[in-house]
Parts: sequence; C-alpha cells; structure tokens
Amino acid sequence: MNLDILAQMVVSGALMGLIYALIAYGFQLTYATSKSINFGQGELVMLSAFFSLTLLNLGAPYWLMVPGGLLFGAVMGLIVERACVRLSLEQKSEGWILLTIIFGLLGFSSAENIWGRDDRPFPSPISADALNFFGISITGLEIAVALGVFLIMSIIELFKRKTLLGKAFEAVSADRDAAELMGISATKTIMLSYGLSGMVAAMAGILISPITTVGPTMASALILKAFSVAVVAGLDSGFGVVIIGIFLGALESLTSFYLGSGWREAPGLILLIMALAVRPNGVFGKANIRKV
Amino acid sequence: MKKTLLATLLLGTLTTPAFAADTIKIALTGPFSGGSAPMGTSMRDGARLAINEINASGGISVGTKKKKIEIIERDDEGKNERGALIAQELASMGDLSGVIGTVNTGVVLAGDKHLQEKGITKIITPAAGSASMTQWSKAGTKDVSIFRFAAHDGIQSSMVIEEAINQKFTKIAILHDATNYGASGHDDLIDQIKKQGNKLEIVATEKFNIGDKDMTAQLLSAKAHGAQAILIWGIGPEMAAVSNGMAKLGMKIPLIGGWTLSMSNYIDNAGKNGNGTLMPQTFIEDAITPKVKSFIDGYHKTYNVTRIPSPVSAAQGYDAVYIFAAAVKQAQSEDTHKIKDALEDLREPVKGVITTWKHPFSKWDPANEQTHEAFRRSDAVMGKIQDGHVIFANQSDRQRLINNAAR
Amino acid sequence: MIKRILLLRGTEILCLLLLASIPFAIDNAYVLGLLTLLTIYGILLIGLDVTVGYLGQVNLAQAAFLGLGAYAGALSVSLLGLDMLGALGVSMLTGLLLGALLAFPALRLEGPQFALATLSFSALSTTVLNEWESLTGGAQGLSLTRPALFGHAFNAPGFYWLCLILLALVWMAMRNLLASQWGRAFEALRDSPIATDAMGVSTFRHKVAGFAFGSSLGGLAGGLYAFNFQYLQPQSFTYDLMVILLLGVVLGGRKSLWGAFFGAALIVLLPNLLSNRLLFELISATGLLLAIIAGGRGWLKKTTPAFQALAPIIAMSLLVTGGYLVENTENWRKAIFALMLFAVVVGLPDGIMGFAARYLTRLFRIAPATLAKPSNLTDVLPLSPSDDQVLLELKNLTRYFGGVKAVDGISMSIQKGHVHGLIGPNGSGKSTAVNVISGLYAPTSGEILLLGHPLPHGSLFKVARSGVSRTFQNLQLFGELSALNNVMLALKDAYRIPLPMVMLGLAKKEDHRAQADALALLNLVGLKEQANVHARDLTYGAQRFLEIARALACKPELLILDEPAAGLAHPDAAKLVLIIKAIRQRGITTILIEHHMNIVSELCDVVTVIDGGRVIAQGTANEVKRDPIVIQAYLGVADDEPVIASS
Repeated sequence: MNLDILAQMVVSGALMGLIYALIAYGFQLTYATSKSINFGQGELVMLSAFFSLTLLNLGAPYWLMVPGGLLFGAVMGLIVERACVRLSLEQKSEGWILLTIIFGLLGFSSAENIWGRDDRPFPSPISADALNFFGISITGLEIAVALGVFLIMSIIELFKRKTLLGKAFEAVSADRDAAELMGISATKTIMLSYGLSGMVAAMAGILISPITTVGPTMASALILKAFSVAVVAGLDSGFGVVIIGIFLGALESLTSFYLGSGWREAPGLILLIMALAVRPNGVFGKANIRKV
Repeated sequence: MKKTLLATLLLGTLTTPAFAADTIKIALTGPFSGGSAPMGTSMRDGARLAINEINASGGISVGTKKKKIEIIERDDEGKNERGALIAQELASMGDLSGVIGTVNTGVVLAGDKHLQEKGITKIITPAAGSASMTQWSKAGTKDVSIFRFAAHDGIQSSMVIEEAINQKFTKIAILHDATNYGASGHDDLIDQIKKQGNKLEIVATEKFNIGDKDMTAQLLSAKAHGAQAILIWGIGPEMAAVSNGMAKLGMKIPLIGGWTLSMSNYIDNAGKNGNGTLMPQTFIEDAITPKVKSFIDGYHKTYNVTRIPSPVSAAQGYDAVYIFAAAVKQAQSEDTHKIKDALEDLREPVKGVITTWKHPFSKWDPANEQTHEAFRRSDAVMGKIQDGHVIFANQSDRQRLINNAAR
Repeated sequence: MIKRILLLRGTEILCLLLLASIPFAIDNAYVLGLLTLLTIYGILLIGLDVTVGYLGQVNLAQAAFLGLGAYAGALSVSLLGLDMLGALGVSMLTGLLLGALLAFPALRLEGPQFALATLSFSALSTTVLNEWESLTGGAQGLSLTRPALFGHAFNAPGFYWLCLILLALVWMAMRNLLASQWGRAFEALRDSPIATDAMGVSTFRHKVAGFAFGSSLGGLAGGLYAFNFQYLQPQSFTYDLMVILLLGVVLGGRKSLWGAFFGAALIVLLPNLLSNRLLFELISATGLLLAIIAGGRGWLKKTTPAFQALAPIIAMSLLVTGGYLVENTENWRKAIFALMLFAVVVGLPDGIMGFAARYLTRLFRIAPATLAKPSNLTDVLPLSPSDDQVLLELKNLTRYFGGVKAVDGISMSIQKGHVHGLIGPNGSGKSTAVNVISGLYAPTSGEILLLGHPLPHGSLFKVARSGVSRTFQNLQLFGELSALNNVMLALKDAYRIPLPMVMLGLAKKEDHRAQADALALLNLVGLKEQANVHARDLTYGAQRFLEIARALACKPELLILDEPAAGLAHPDAAKLVLIIKAIRQRGITTILIEHHMNIVSELCDVVTVIDGGRVIAQGTANEVKRDPIVIQAYLGVADDEPVIASS
C-alpha cells in the first residue's frame, strides 16, 4: 500500500467533507435560534447556484455575481422563515418539517422548469487544474472551497460574538424566553438566522458549483450528508461541523477504497447511529439537563 | 360528457375522455422529471416533433380517412412503481394504438408485463438494458408485443470491448453506477470480454452512486492497479465527475463507455477533460444529410435550444414514431394487435434520421430476441467527444452513413 | 350511543363492502392496480402513523421497512418455498425485529436526531440491498412470482381481496390497540416522556413497542408490495418515497386510521388526477374556492391568524393562474403537488380527515361515548391506617451539577400518614431534592429508603413503580389526551390483558373498569364533568388538580406535590386545600413543596426548611416560622455580607 494514495484519499475526502460542513453550518444557524431546520436547504443551495449562474450568463462580472447570489440566498431564507417556519413555531407544532420539505419540492420543480433538468457547468475564475503538494493533487477550486468555508464561518462567528445584533442572536440561542424578557425580539432574531442561513446556502452553492456542476439534483445527495454532519456534530456546535465533516469525508473515501465503493457510506452510517445513541445531542453538542 | 367525468372521478381512472374517435392514440412515457429527465424529455420531444410533422401533413391514411395522432403523455419519474401503474393504466385504455418510450430498464421490467398481457404494442426507446427483451426470451413467451428501438447494451458493450482490444489494452478498470443500468452494463462488459477471447484483464471494478461528486477513491483504485483504460457505464453528471477526477489525479488514460456519455450533462460538465472520450452512438448531432439537418434544426427551433440534451434519445424517439406510423399505414388500422403484426413485417422502408429502416423487426422467436430488436451492430458508430461536441470517431463511419442515405 | 356505534362502524363496513365489490362492477386492470396499491399503502401509512402521529416523531425509515419486508417476503418464497401466508409472516417479522433493533439506539432521540437516525438506517438498508448481490440481485432487481395460498393461486382480483382483508384486520387491530392503554401510552410519551415515566408507565417499553409495531406493518405492506409488483429494486425504497409517505400521513390527518387511509388514497391517485388537464383545473378551482371560503370566514371571524387564512388562498391562486399559463402541467407536477400540500398543511393542520371528522361529527351530531359509572373511591384508594412508621428516609443526600451543590447533604425522615411540608427560598434545592427522590436525577451520593428499602436511583419509572408518585412544578400533563385518559393512563395495576388479546378487542371490559376508577379520582378533584375535555383545554387550576388526580391514580405510598398552589387564584387555592385534606384522610403520605405559608400551616404536620441545599430547620409550621435562621434565610442578607447558610 502506497502512502501517497492514502494521503490523497484522506485529503480529497476531507475537502468533500468541508462542503458537507458548510451546508451543515446553515442548519446550525437556524437551529440555534428557533430549534428548527430547513429541510429544503439543499434546494436553497441549488436555487442560489442557478440564480448566480443566470447572473453570470446575463453578463454580470464575478465580483457582482457573488453579492447578488448571497442576497438572493438571504431573501429565499427569509421567505422560508415567513412561509414555512413562523406559523408552526407560534403553534409549537412540528409543521415546519413538512412545510420546509414542501418548499424544497416546489423549488425543485420550479428549477426543473425554469432552468431545465440538465446539469450545467459553472464557470469560475479559479483554475480547475491540479496543483501538486508532496504527491497529493489538489485543484485550485478545492482550495477555494476550503478557504471559503473557513472565511464565511469565521465572519459569522465573529459577527455573533462581536456585534450587538450578534449578541442578540446568541442570547436567543441560549434562552429564548429570557432574551424576550430583555427586550430582544425572538421573531426578528429568527428571521436574521434564516437570512444568514440562506446566505450560507448561497455561498455553498457558488463555491461548490464549479466542482459539482449546477442542476436540480445537485444538492440532493449532499444535503443528506450535511444533515448527518450537523446532527452528529451537534446542532449547536459551531466549528464542530468542520471536524465531523472532515472525518466523515475522509472515512467515506477510505471505506470506498478498502471495502469497495458500493459500501462507501455504510461505516459512516453505522457510526452515526452509534454516535447518536451515545450522545443524542451530538459529539460536540451540549448535554442538556432535563428540567421539570 | 358529464357522465364520463363522474365515472372517471369515481373510479380514479381518469383516462382522457375520447373527444374524437378518428385519432390514433399513442402514449409517450418516460421520466420527464428527476435525474434521467434529459433522456426522457429529449425522447419525448423528438417523438413529438415527428408526430407534429405527421399531423401537419394531415395524418396517417387509414382506409378512406386520414387520421391524426393523439398523444397521451405519462411521466414515470424513473420509478418502477409509477411505471407499473402507468403501464396498467395504458393497458386498460382499450383504444390505445401503442406506446413509445421508457428510459429506465427497471421501469421496463416493472411495467411491460402489463402491456404484454393485453398485447399492447410498445416500442421501447431509449432504454438499453439487455434484460428488457431477454425477459421474454428467457420466459419462452410465444407472442410478444414489445419491440425495442435502441442499441441494446449487448451491441454497445461489444463495441466498447472491441475498441479496447483494438487499442491494444490488456488491463482495464470498470466503473459503473449503482443503478440497474450500471450494474447490467457491468455484466454485459464482462460477458463481452469472455466472448471476445479474454484478452482484457479487469484490474478494478468500482461503483459510484447517483449524485456522487468525488470519485478520487474509485480512480485511485484503478490507478493503483495499473489500469490502461477505464470502461464506464452510468448516466450523465457522475461520469463528468470521473473525467474531472482523472484530470485532477493526472490520469491520462482513455475513457470508453455507453452511449449516455454523449449527453450534454457529460460533455458540458467534463469540459476539456471530456475530450477524446469514446462511446457507441446511434445518432450524432451532425447535419450530414438534409433529413438530419431538418430534424436538428426543427428540434432546436421548436424547443428553443442550441443543442439537443440527449441527441440519441431524440433521434430514436423521432424515428420510432415514423416506424410506428408506417406500421399503422400498412395495417390500415389503429388496432394495436394489427399494428404489432405489421411491425413484425414492415414492407416499406422507413426513412429516418438515423438510417433508412428496412424491415427493422421480424416475427418474434422466443429463441432469438433479436427478432424484436431494431438495431444491429452496423447501425451504431463510435462517437468521440471533441471540444464540446460529439463527432464521428472514425470518418469512415460518417461517409458510410452519407452513402447509405444517398442510396 | 347506539347511533354513534352505528355511524362509526357502519361507515367502516360500508366502505369495506364498497371497496370489495368494485372488482365485480368494473373489469379494469388499472383500477384494480390502483386499488391494490391503495390497500397496501393504507397498511403502510397506518404503520407510519404510529410513529408520526401517536409517538410524534418524524420517522424516515418506513420506506426502508417497506423495502426490507418486500425483499424478505420475496426471498422467503424463492429460497424457503413458503406460501403466501408464510411469506407475509416473514415480511412482518422482519419489520418487527428490525424495527425493535432500530428503536434501541433511537430511543433517546427526539426531533431532528430521531429523524436522522431513521434516515441513516434507511440509507444503510438500501446499501445492503444493493450490495448483497448474491441474495437480492443488487441493482438489477429481483423478479419473483406470486405464491399461492393453501394451493390456491391468486388472480388480480383475488390478490386485491387478500390485501383488502389484511387492511381490514390491521384496521381492527389498530383500533383496538389505540383505544387501549397502549394507545394512551403512545400519546402520553409524545406529550411528556418525563411524566409518562413518572406515572409508572415505561416510555422505553412503549416506544420500542410502538416503533416495532409500526415497522411490522411496514414489513407486511412490503410483502404485499413485492407480490403485487413482482419486481423489486433497492432504489424504489429511498428518501423520495419516504417524503411522499410522510406527506401522505400529514395530508390525510395524523392520529387517525381514516386519515392514513385517505392519505394513501391521495398519494396513489393524485399523480393520476393531475395528468388529466380538465380534472386538474377542476381540482385547483375547487381548492381555491375552498381556501377563499374557509380562509375568508376564519379571517373575518378572527378565528384564524391572517397568515393562516391568506397563505392557502395565495397558494391556490398561484396554482390556478399557473395552470392557465403553463402549457404542459405534467412538467410541473411536483410543484402542483407542493402548492396543494402547502395549502393543506397551513390551512388544515389536522389534515383533511382531521378537519372532516370535526365537521362530520358536528353534522351528524355524534355524541361522545357515554362514560362508565364512577367506582367507589374506597375501592380505588383504600384507606390505609396511619402508624408511627417512618415511610421515607433520606441519609446525607447530595446532588451536584458541576460545581453547583444543589443538594448538599440532606438527611430527614418522613412519617407515614403525614403531610410533610418542604419549604425554602427560591433556589434552595427543594425541587432538586424531590427530583432526586422521584428518580429524575440520580443522587451524587447518599441513600433514599422507602419503608427501609432503598429506592432505585435515577429512574422515574422504577421509582414510580416502587410507590412514589408526583406532580410537577411546571405542568407536565398529556395535553392531547382527555382529562379522563390522563388519569386512566396512570392507573396502577389496572391493565393485565396481554397485547395480542388487546388487539383482538378483548380488553374492553378491563378498560371500562379502569374508566370507572379514573372517574372516581376525577370526582375527588372535582373534574368529573370535564372528563372528556383535552387536558390542554382545561383552565390552569383544573390542570393543577388533574395532575394530582393523575398522581393518585398511581396509588402511591408517597405523593410528592411540587408547588401545587403556584399561580392559583384564591378560590382554586381553597379548593386545593380541601383536596389535599381529602388525600390525607385516605392515609396517603404527602410531601408538599409550597411557598404559601398559610397553606403550609393549615395542612402540614411537619415542616422542613431547606436553604443552600441543606436542612436548616424542622418542626411544626409555627415552630419554623419563628426560627431566626429561617427568617434570615427568607428575608435574605445584603449582597456584600457572607451568606450564613447553616448555623
């Protein structure tokens, strides 16, 4: 067994894992404030990617496309919050799960009809050519994804810690009722979190599209992995998703090589069920004390 | 009318009430949404193009009247269960002349038995999985109303293996997707390697799932075992991920695979990494004859595209309709059983965009499912990807087709 | 009463007969195919409803159980040569066993975590079916033939009737099960798992059973699915199908057999309904009209929030206008489906059947079932003579949370028959102390003895079974259950009939007796007239009293009342005093945590004062009230002075 191959596989898997982590981070943002997640997050990634691609095709330069795409993502996030989440949260029902699934279905079908059913390439100023580091091939696109993931997560984490609005966010995450008593509007904070989550989804869409291509089904496989990463890491764990994402990505890659590519996902899934059984709130999640 | 509606509401059967008795009803089925939709919609749109042409010219002469074709469209979403239900629905319609379509071999296996039971004529296109027809020969069915109009995987895999042997490879890796199509393509390849004298050694067999984006592990396995070429069986974008992964890992070995490599979702997404990829084709979007040109232009104009998402599916859908129409004309009836008999013995050649079809099918023989297969080895050519387009891998093939058309 | 039975059972029988007679009336393979699938999905969704509706968890594994059951059935025919009945048995057993297996790790999970565990299981099962090629044929699928039953081969109508009979049997079994203690337990553990355990009803056992049972129906449906389609592929049983199933259950209406059946009908028929243009236009127009009427009325009467009234109207108008603009509706099928679902989920949270049921019960004036005659209270709670025995003894009990010493070495004993007051300022540790006694928390150290025997540590369920019952400071009622069912659930030793007999409907008599006993307890707290009201709809005071009645139903040796008077208005507080007095008369030992000193003085034989996690005083109410340490603890000390917790 060649050490190069092993290293190549771990690195490639880990980079894939970072993509899971970025999408997973979008789940965390909304879960923190509202204890709800958007099951249509994958469609949000896909729609934002299509929208950004349309901007590019209309002749928008790359630097304009990125904020445009992010804005679109944020607006979509707000629509999800208003149309699918708020009412259910007010009624304390689990309706949001279904409504967000339904929203995803609508988004999927619309994309199929507006942009077509085919996968399309997404141009990128960054070269797709491989660079060689100690015998490990990494493409510029992959490096861009890795940097982008850390960048956007750092910005949002900084925002949460350093700004007043961010602190309101943290307060609602920690204790919604207490925050409301302090005059922080939980509804507005939840809106903010969905907007941010939509932005993260859009960012993910723009970053990964050059690698994954853009099509209605582009995120349907990714989203299940991202969901796993978010829950196993703990839905309130922040950077925990990065570690779990990298771990799962590398594990898949190695399993595929050693056990056969058909079994690629199996060990990850078994570990996942075990991890949840032992730590229901996730590996990096806070254990909560049952209160009565 | 009111009563019909009530009845349909009550039963949930909801067949379109027949507005006019003097139409020929043809059902087009396939996945028009979801992952295999590019093939399904191309097939449907190609078939529609032909039907529109026929209807514009007044329809098909049956007896003293000219009858127009009425389309019944059903989306099976590539799901077996939906396919089975749709087949049941079509089988119980009573006045249906025939069915054209189906992309997924699983859907064929789940649904066609219902059509066969009632003797409804069906032309399968573009589903290529071998099992679609061998299920009837294996069962020894005496009389079969199912025909196939696609280069089945047997033909394709033999061409792929032939190509690999011709290029003097000895070690190859097989990559295939984890669907029915990929798995059965894998079996066909192994079969063909044996048939062609065991000249190739399979050093790695790897799978990938629909939606997989990272193929590093599979490719490294092929690389580590010294594969000189990769034979691939799958659908669309995942194969582009394979090409891109090969470029990333610096694997400069050829990629040869099934006809689906000519779909735009492979060509576009693999970009320059797709150059040189080889695959058997029944139709290449190259206006080599006026007939082909008018088809390609017609498609582009009608559906407002600059390139057909899946040219093979579209051309097969188009030609299948003309063959079906010829059978209707010969049978002088819209009765599906009579059309079946006519299809088994088409006397007039049918000019299509793929080729001129002379006696494409013959009387069903349980010992030889080729009787209901329209395509022979000679109807398929090797295509090659070059700068975003599929071209003839061998110029001799191109010339042969031009000559054939001229004759 | 007779009218009720006639209407409810009559509709079921009528529907069954109607469905059974369709093959005679119409000879159409397609209709038969749809009906067969409808019955299969009916069974599947009834199973799914156990977890989604009753257990209240998003279960994403039912499609996998369908697949596993299908393969198990198919393989038991081809490998073991079983006939129809045997194969279906194997399918069902597969669902049951794997369901139970999955339930163990998934037990501690809720919400998204539970959803993920089930989702992972289903991905795993697809992988196994795909990769175990020697057995399942892998991705290329498995063709099979329909087995015979006692040598009798099935034609299409025959198979349909078999499916229909099985659906009817499942229906009956489910109805009996859900009307029994099992059904109550399923719902209870959704509303409050903590209270379920605290009432001596094992959440563990019922969650596993509920999940396994739902999965076994998935397996059974799978067997039928296999013999219906006679061709299986692992890809058929993935996330896509699961989403459709989930939407079907919600659309039809949760917690309702009719809802599951209706949901099945919708997901089977809707794709076909939409492929007909005329019918699609009819449906969308009707939908819009309904949305406008219902939404508009609700909005004007202010019974529905603006969003809930408007959103369905917007969704349906989109559907109607879209229907005119779009050339080919078939292309937009998923979007159409989504818009309709959106309107239903927002506008009718109880699902279509939930809405219809309410409407129909009103229309036909179906009265709720008449209740049993209350039992004699003495038969339910026998008088126990008080002696001078020590009932509960705490020895140096501690409980730390990290560095916080919430309970820091409490030793005390409680005499049988006493009402023992436990008081102290906020945060003094009294609630933690009773939480440790009742098993919610395990003690960090120390001993708890009930009648000289150690109480189990850290298990609400085991402690409850040992004879300690409690109420909660923050109400933990089963909101979706009626007051009567809240009490019936907790009734100790009332249910002895084993599960299979329950499903056969042989537990009715037992249930009737339990109902009578529960009514006696409701009568004790003055809620007999509100027996059929949902707990969440009761007034706050009534909810407090209901919790006491429910705790009494456990027939406890020791009753813990955790601030029962908190937030009560004066008349209710007076009523509470009377209730507690009545409980004392029956000789039940009570720990009363309370802030209202007048209530404590009036009721308590002994009062223990706790502060800083320690006992600072004990005596009669009057004694502790005069104790300077107690006064200091209550009036507090200035911030900058050291806290003198213990003397």
